[in-house]
Amino acid sequence: MITFDYIRPATTKAAIDALKKESSAQFIAGGTNLVDLMKHGITAPQRLIDISRLPLNIIEQKGNMIRIGAMALNSTVAENALIQQQLPLLSQALQAGASPQLRNMATVGGNMMQRTRCAYFYDTTLPCNKREPGSGCSALQGYNRMHAIFGASDQCIAVHPSDMCVALAALDAVVVIADSKGERRLPFIDFHRLPGNSPHVDNNLAKGEMIVGIEVPLNNFVKHYRYTKIRDRQSYAFALVSVAAAIDIKENIISDIRLAMGGVGSQTVATNKS
Amino acid sequence: MSHNEKLLNDDCHNSRRGFLKKSVAATAIALAPNVIVKAAEDGLDEKAAGYFEKTNIKLTINDIDYSLSIEPRTTLLDLLREQLHLTGSKKGCDYGQCGACTVHVDGKRVLSCLSLAVMQEGKHITTIEGLAKGDDLHPMQQAFIDHDGFQCGYCTPGQIMSAVACVREGHANSPEEVRQYMSGNICRCGAYNNIVDAIIEVKRKGGTI
Amino acid sequence: MEKFFFEDDNNRVTGKAVVTGKAKYAAEHEVEGVVYGVLVGSTIAKGSIIAIDTKAATKAPGVMKVITHENSYKVPGYDYGGNPAKGLTGGKGLQVFNGNTIYFAGQPIALVIADSYERAVYAASLIKAQYNQDVHATDFAEMGKSVIAVEGQRYKDNIRGEADAYKNAAVKLEAEYIVPNEVHNPMELHAVIAKWGADDKLTVWEKTQGVKSAQRSIAAAFKLKEDDVQVFAPFVGGGFGSALRTWPHSIAAVIGAKMVKKPLKLVLTREQMFQLVGYRPYTKQRIGIGADKDGKFIGITHEADGVTSMYEEFTEGTVNVSKILYQCQNVTTRYKLYPLNLSTPTWMRGPGEATGCFALECAIDELSYLLNIDPLELRLKNYAETDPERNRPYSSKFLKEAYQLGADKIGWKDRDPRPASMKQGEWQVGYGMSTGLFNAGRGNAKASAKLYADGTLIVQTAVSDSGPGTQTSMTMIAADMMGLPVNKVTFEYGDSSLPPGPTQGGSTTTSTLGSAVYGVCFALQNKIIDILKTDGTFNKTDLKVEDVSFTDGGVLLKSDPAKKRTYSDILSKAKLNQLEVSDDSKASEQMRNYSAYSYSVHFVKVLVHSKTGVIKFDKIVATADAGKIISPKTARSQMIGGVVGGIGMALMEEAVIDNRFGKYINNNFADYHVPVQADVPEIEVAFVNKPDPILNPIGAKGMGEIALIGFAAAVSNAVYHATGKRVRDLPITLDKIM
Repeated sequence: MITFDYIRPATTKAAIDALKKESSAQFIAGGTNLVDLMKHGITAPQRLIDISRLPLNIIEQKGNMIRIGAMALNSTVAENALIQQQLPLLSQALQAGASPQLRNMATVGGNMMQRTRCAYFYDTTLPCNKREPGSGCSALQGYNRMHAIFGASDQCIAVHPSDMCVALAALDAVVVIADSKGERRLPFIDFHRLPGNSPHVDNNLAKGEMIVGIEVPLNNFVKHYRYTKIRDRQSYAFALVSVAAAIDIKENIISDIRLAMGGVGSQTVATNKS
Repeated sequence: MSHNEKLLNDDCHNSRRGFLKKSVAATAIALAPNVIVKAAEDGLDEKAAGYFEKTNIKLTINDIDYSLSIEPRTTLLDLLREQLHLTGSKKGCDYGQCGACTVHVDGKRVLSCLSLAVMQEGKHITTIEGLAKGDDLHPMQQAFIDHDGFQCGYCTPGQIMSAVACVREGHANSPEEVRQYMSGNICRCGAYNNIVDAIIEVKRKGGTI
Repeated sequence: MEKFFFEDDNNRVTGKAVVTGKAKYAAEHEVEGVVYGVLVGSTIAKGSIIAIDTKAATKAPGVMKVITHENSYKVPGYDYGGNPAKGLTGGKGLQVFNGNTIYFAGQPIALVIADSYERAVYAASLIKAQYNQDVHATDFAEMGKSVIAVEGQRYKDNIRGEADAYKNAAVKLEAEYIVPNEVHNPMELHAVIAKWGADDKLTVWEKTQGVKSAQRSIAAAFKLKEDDVQVFAPFVGGGFGSALRTWPHSIAAVIGAKMVKKPLKLVLTREQMFQLVGYRPYTKQRIGIGADKDGKFIGITHEADGVTSMYEEFTEGTVNVSKILYQCQNVTTRYKLYPLNLSTPTWMRGPGEATGCFALECAIDELSYLLNIDPLELRLKNYAETDPERNRPYSSKFLKEAYQLGADKIGWKDRDPRPASMKQGEWQVGYGMSTGLFNAGRGNAKASAKLYADGTLIVQTAVSDSGPGTQTSMTMIAADMMGLPVNKVTFEYGDSSLPPGPTQGGSTTTSTLGSAVYGVCFALQNKIIDILKTDGTFNKTDLKVEDVSFTDGGVLLKSDPAKKRTYSDILSKAKLNQLEVSDDSKASEQMRNYSAYSYSVHFVKVLVHSKTGVIKFDKIVATADAGKIISPKTARSQMIGGVVGGIGMALMEEAVIDNRFGKYINNNFADYHVPVQADVPEIEVAFVNKPDPILNPIGAKGMGEIALIGFAAAVSNAVYHATGKRVRDLPITLDKIM
């Protein structure tokens, strides 16, 4: 790992300003993926901006939605009483991810920002369009039983490995993004990008922006829901495929249904029908 | 914490690297020891950088306060093992894929191999070396011995730190639950059954752990 | 002897050191002034190095030296004539930094040494090599096609009775089975600290299953006297075979320490663990087995194609299991070895026998359905009462008892034997079983014992313990022999300067070393008897060992139990501070006329999800005839551990090579799956626990290997019973069932 500067700004604004100042700077929160990527030499920021202590870890109900701060830990969200009551599908999906230790480190924002676990992306001696645009995709003709089924391009077939994101896609979540000018909102399903011709760009976060939170509308998917994850071992493994499913039954009729799939694309595949 | 906040607002160490990149600046050379001057003359700002790029942090490990000068790239695990000789926390993969490096930071179980030490400023860290009270083993340590919860012993400190947290979190109510919440700690010798037995026994006995 | 019936459920004597984090593994010894070495591997799988650019690395902060083949200290034990790999077999292996030839991806091409770990890692990333790349061979599908088998005497057909007799049988089966490359992956990364002292004396802290063999290998490489090399391994964080050899990285560390004149620490990365410390080699097997209508085997043909490296021949006993496990007159075996651009494989728990038993024990299951005979009954019909290969009796064999124990515990006879007939909700239910065997040997070892006037005993031998609990079982044997409580006995080991002990491998440690500890304690007993003859205590100048009991920290006369003397009394009366003896222990002559094997039987009940193919274990029963069980608690753990290794082998382990690049692409713990807690159900263990009366004086056979051998076949057989789908290539992942 190269040497780098480390700063820990006290406010969100200061953090965003700091990101603008140094072109190779990156935010770090839980570090569960970024430190891993830095050890592998896949990314080499010259400055790390520690945002883990910013006051962005609140989980609260605001009107008809639940807002989750970007710095809330995966384990905190999963075990939060409000989430377990109102968004049990999200809690279940989070519990299916990684390990208890990693969930104690990883944040909601970091979970969204994690990069693919494609083996070819990780081996810096091999071609990979996501890591090095234009170098080629080794996975296309390679070992790819865990790769994308949906939305892949001839440039990249990597998948986004998150469990949390599958539930958020199913639950019509909205991403709250801040920059130095203010906040904007983006539907969760539009956050991650399909690879197309620019697989190195994972998401629609612009330069100088920070995820500050997630908003999930209150819903009736609190009784009939299920996050199912199929993997090569019973725990501590990425999904071969995962499904977040929820239905709302009113007077014995399914009035609303949500279905999203993970482990099959660079985006969560959601087919939400009301 | 006031020390922390001071550090947060203290920007002077932030730009050391940028400063160094312009390290031909006469003032820097004038102030620097000879070896750095030599390095700077060779255009080796990387080499000189090493002398400047340590950061001072304070943290508490096993109830002992430490003031340390470390590189920001040093992980908590490498700090413990290589600089403080607290080798109870183990390196099994270095990428968060095995759990052997599990320690408690402010009471939560985390992986020290993916934690940058510099980010632990002001935090309380407990490692396996800090679990026993003097000669009195922690109940989980004793239970691991009684149930033969290890063979080679290499994953054991991580297993025990994780097991203590598992009980404290309230995730040790059944063998099935323990198996799920202990799946972040790989044991290649395969002592899993015995580890479950040890944890269930500690949970059953109750008390503060 | 009436001894060796250990009822005590003793805890592991290493317990406190381990659970407090004080146990020191190879990389953890505090050595003043230690510097850090990081190995850089080749990015190509075959070719030669044209140039290595080490400039940036050399100039990086804290770097003290970059070693490559161009500037390396010339290891005196290496062959510098032409091809550095030429003529090497056995224990020598790859000669690190000797020449520019690349044999496999990840082969060490440089060692970067710096004053801190972080700096060494960073500088290693700056090494750039230019290669002359050749077309590599890593594709198993090319074995027998473009990749040609090694020639030699040991690759000739081996025929007992009539060749390929199975072909003429009334009922026969031919099938092909595949075991992929699997990697030991002990939790401790392989590590070494090397320190040169005055007068060219060398101290090495090494992760090794054999401190003596490591001492010999390093002394031979550097042309030192063995006594001038001291190897320490007080704690070894697992091995499973990967630490049986002294690998090139350890030699590199010794070279590095020599060149920078400082103690050097080198720890492999998890990726390097896939490339530099061996693996279970991919093996493609074909079984032909035929029986008459009653199920009597007419013939077995077992063929195996294994892999090795380009610079060394590594063979294992894969096909031998078919010669010895069942009574069958006609057995043909063929073993071929194919060199690929991979590093040299090595023995991995259960080694070739685990590979061989997977094929044989699946084939027998398949045959049982063709014959419509219960798989267990079919095995009993062909039970070997004497060794069919060497035509001699067994020193002991209690396999039938092991079958019975396991069948009762799993409820074998209560199952519906028809495939795909049993269900639990959405899950299909299947039962499967298998047999495993492994040679029970006994080698040479030396131990010394010191009995002190305070009634404590120290037993010493140069062995290391990578997890089975050798320290515990040896302590128990010594305590039992001398009638001392376990806490009065200290077993000292893990240091090559102690009396030579065995390498911990091949399931022989307890048999070999237990015999030595028994022998040295027996010698100590005799020495005590000699004192008692003359000191007047019992008024018996013809006193014999048989006349007394060694108990309660002393000696009592059997004919008059009131006559009792403690060791403290005996030694102080004789004005001795200590009694010291040593003993050379050798295999018994009597064993020339016998064969000895340990046996395991695995029964599993699996659940296969009907829609997703997910496999879960409902119940696992592991039984064994491992002779006398010396240390019940650690023995049970070892058996459970073997099963967990077997779960990995059966369901998830495969080191995948991308043949375009000749590289492993799942060389980490996230992509190379080993079992986690959630994969492992409660495992029931039962031992026949009858002593072998001939193999050695303690009655123990071995169990490290059999704990795993056969398990994967039991799973494959159970999956077939559950689903009607036969999976012959490991691992049995869900996509192979759907």
